[in-house]
Amino acid sequence: MGFLSPQNFVYALSLAMLVLIYLRSRSRPTLDVSSLMLFDEAPAPVASVRHVRLDPMFWLEMATLAALTLGLAGMYVMRPPSMGHGRTHALVFDLGAAMSARDGQDQATRLDRARHDALEIINQAPVGDEFSVIGYALEAELRHPQSANLVALRKALDELVAMAVPARTAALRAALMRARGASEIDLFADRPPPNTVLADVASAAHVNFHLLGAGDANLAANLAANLAIVSLDPGTPGATRGRAVIRNFSARPHLCELAIDLGAGEVFHHTLMLSPREQAVVPFGPLMTGGVLHARILTSDAIEADNSRYAYAASDRAARVLVLSPDAAVRDDLARVLLALNSNFQIETADPSRYRPEANPIGADAKPLELVVMHDCYMPAIAAASTLLIYPPQNKSGAPSPAGISVDGNLASVDLHGESIGASGGGESLTLGATRIVALPEWMDSIASAAGAGHRSIPVAAIGHASGGPVGLIAFDVRNHLLLAPDHLDALILTVDLLKQLTAPRDVQIVSTGAYVSVPAIANARVTQPDGSVRVVAADRFGRVRIRPLQAGRYSIESGSLTTRLFANYYDATESDLGAKPVAESSPPAEKASAAAGVEPAREVHPLVFLLVALALLALMVESAVLIRHATRWGMRHV
Amino acid sequence: MLEARAFEPEFLRKLDLLVLGIKRARTVRAGQRALGRIQGLGIEPENFKDYAPGDDLRFLDWNAFARLDDLIIRTYRADRQVEITSLVDASASMGLPERDDKLGLALAIGAAFAYIGMADNDAVRIGAFSMRRGAMKLETTAFHRRRESYLNFKPFVMSVKSGGETRLGAAVDQLLLQRRPAGTVVVISDFLVSESDAEEALKRLVAARHEVKVIHVMGEQESTGSYPPGLFRVRDAETGEIRETIFGPSTAAALRRKVEQIASRVREICTTHAITYAQAFGASSFEDFMERELPLLGIVR
Repeated sequence: MGFLSPQNFVYALSLAMLVLIYLRSRSRPTLDVSSLMLFDEAPAPVASVRHVRLDPMFWLEMATLAALTLGLAGMYVMRPPSMGHGRTHALVFDLGAAMSARDGQDQATRLDRARHDALEIINQAPVGDEFSVIGYALEAELRHPQSANLVALRKALDELVAMAVPARTAALRAALMRARGASEIDLFADRPPPNTVLADVASAAHVNFHLLGAGDANLAANLAANLAIVSLDPGTPGATRGRAVIRNFSARPHLCELAIDLGAGEVFHHTLMLSPREQAVVPFGPLMTGGVLHARILTSDAIEADNSRYAYAASDRAARVLVLSPDAAVRDDLARVLLALNSNFQIETADPSRYRPEANPIGADAKPLELVVMHDCYMPAIAAASTLLIYPPQNKSGAPSPAGISVDGNLASVDLHGESIGASGGGESLTLGATRIVALPEWMDSIASAAGAGHRSIPVAAIGHASGGPVGLIAFDVRNHLLLAPDHLDALILTVDLLKQLTAPRDVQIVSTGAYVSVPAIANARVTQPDGSVRVVAADRFGRVRIRPLQAGRYSIESGSLTTRLFANYYDATESDLGAKPVAESSPPAEKASAAAGVEPAREVHPLVFLLVALALLALMVESAVLIRHATRWGMRHV
Repeated sequence: MLEARAFEPEFLRKLDLLVLGIKRARTVRAGQRALGRIQGLGIEPENFKDYAPGDDLRFLDWNAFARLDDLIIRTYRADRQVEITSLVDASASMGLPERDDKLGLALAIGAAFAYIGMADNDAVRIGAFSMRRGAMKLETTAFHRRRESYLNFKPFVMSVKSGGETRLGAAVDQLLLQRRPAGTVVVISDFLVSESDAEEALKRLVAARHEVKVIHVMGEQESTGSYPPGLFRVRDAETGEIRETIFGPSTAAALRRKVEQIASRVREICTTHAITYAQAFGASSFEDFMERELPLLGIVR
């Protein structure tokens, strides 16, 4: 029992008022008479004076007010859902990459097994029960609203596909919150959810947890292999060797047949034995040319999404790069970094105060600038395929803003956010020096942010595609050999990543699954996904389409004559490790999450508002009847 | 404050026409004197009778003996002075219901009787009784005989307040202890006392050779039961006892029945002891009661 709106108990003051009125009325008018002898035969009231007078009118009014107060307070009772009509079920599916794992003797995916179990629940449910279908991985998504239409529900179940992304706890929590209105929640996942998540919803609904997949003890016997490509580094074509990192998540040794293709040709093919839970580095190359590198594990494996990985081997083609900086040391540092990326870059450095774009016209025989890097300066007259602005100057009155970027101020130092640093940062923040406070235009995406004095989050690295080509931004200053300092490798990594993206071919992007990607587009873009499905995405006003690849593999985005190839890689150590036991799994896996989580069998909330209002009305009617009876007895026409 | 009415000249002029009807008055003449029957002390001859041994020879008619040679005794009518006492119940019950002004009615009647009694130059007084602090308190005025002194009653009449219990027997006992000659006692009360107390008191008055007249006063509200409807707690003015009751038509009927029952009992007691009984129910009928009903009953003429 509980109350939905306990604040409405303020109406209980009416009960106190009634008691006061009653106490006031108890002091009935006292009439002094000459003698009680005259009243020997006068009728006496039924109730006599006592401490708590059994006055039916009072108790009826008390019951009326109490019922109305409890109704206003939203009194409800928790009771088991009634068997039969009107029950609502929510079918919640884990759509993370691990649900695509094939195990068991039938080699069906875990999602197939979940789908089968869900269909059984639907088929066995009494007529009138309603179901909703909710999937979650990175986010929770309602796949089918609550309905008793079994045909539509089966179709929605058939359309469930495991995504090449990890299932996040936050998404699970969101999914369960969405399912909270249902009387019963069936959660299909390959690992028990945290107890805290279940506890949030167990009070409102009965949660049945269906564990998919075998436990770790049987995993080795049931799984062919549990391998994954952790990373793929193409190296520098013609210079350094590339390497692929392969990991065996299984508790058994497994053979791993690895093939690496560059373009249409295979450049590496090797079979190696991986020890239980071994992570091996497989070197290859060096590659002779640049291009899209594709590593594949050919061995039969539980999860296919992490058996394939793409990388782009930057070509060593010659290209002109202009570096402008008032600081000679910065010009030198940037030139070193650029040459490390591509030794064939023809790098020109200049002091912006002395550089005259008209003095260096682009002739018919001269190569256009591939990239211009401007440090602490901005010269819009320079035409280049791509631009990198480092520590852009503050806006002066009348001066053009650098590529639409508004520079609003300067901070002496900032702390780079840990998530911006990524794996290389080790989760620690990095303190940077002088940093511009910039406001990004809408077409730019921030890829790193920092916190400074009075600013919780300001972008320090961003990239976007403007009409003149890709534009990169680094807001922090790189003076004092920041890029070459061993303590500031993260700043170097950010810079190199930006340079790679700016110098990468326009028609090739390699991203991680689950990340939002902006692709240049003229109008509507036709997106062909790795599974062959096609969808059309409208371009925004900045001439780009934003997509979020949820499947690992190659996407093709066609917009007019422009075709962009997008390669999505998936790897998540937690999700791919099918034998891993999450913390919540310390309790024995059970078919019913309620039992595993130690939660009482969930019961439904049954508001008692209608019952209480009915009781109040009944009490009022009885009171009216009593009043009429008294009026008749006293010979009065009304009371 | 109905008692003030008894001293208004207009009302007194109406009372001038009335005389108290005392049963033992032998004659009533145009002078409207009440005469006693005591022989020998008067100056006006009444009759003659034959001498009998033992007669007072002072009344022997010597002229008749000389002329007729018979011993004849001359008898005289003696004037008799009757003491009239208006005994008013001033207990707490007489003060309620307030709107009925029952005590005012009783005092007005008592004063009116006194005024009427003064018509024959009889000695008249007014008394009020009630129990105070467990003892009977009987207060009376001095006797007054002439109407010129009637206004001497006014301070007493106006000062009487209701309070205390009704003990009619105790009041009569205290009255009789004063050892006054037998006269007329007008008892004015609501008789909301026990039947035995009322009967014993009246019997003792009669036994003391008083001529007793009973005026039973009741308030109009209590005699008709016309209380506002609803639940009430009623408190006995004399005992303080409380009872809950519901006022309504049925209660009013019950009250009327009870009043009628009490009046019947008192009337029965009066009839049994040859006491004149009259009802004055309701202050509004005071003048009618004095001018019409009392003459009809023979209490006044």
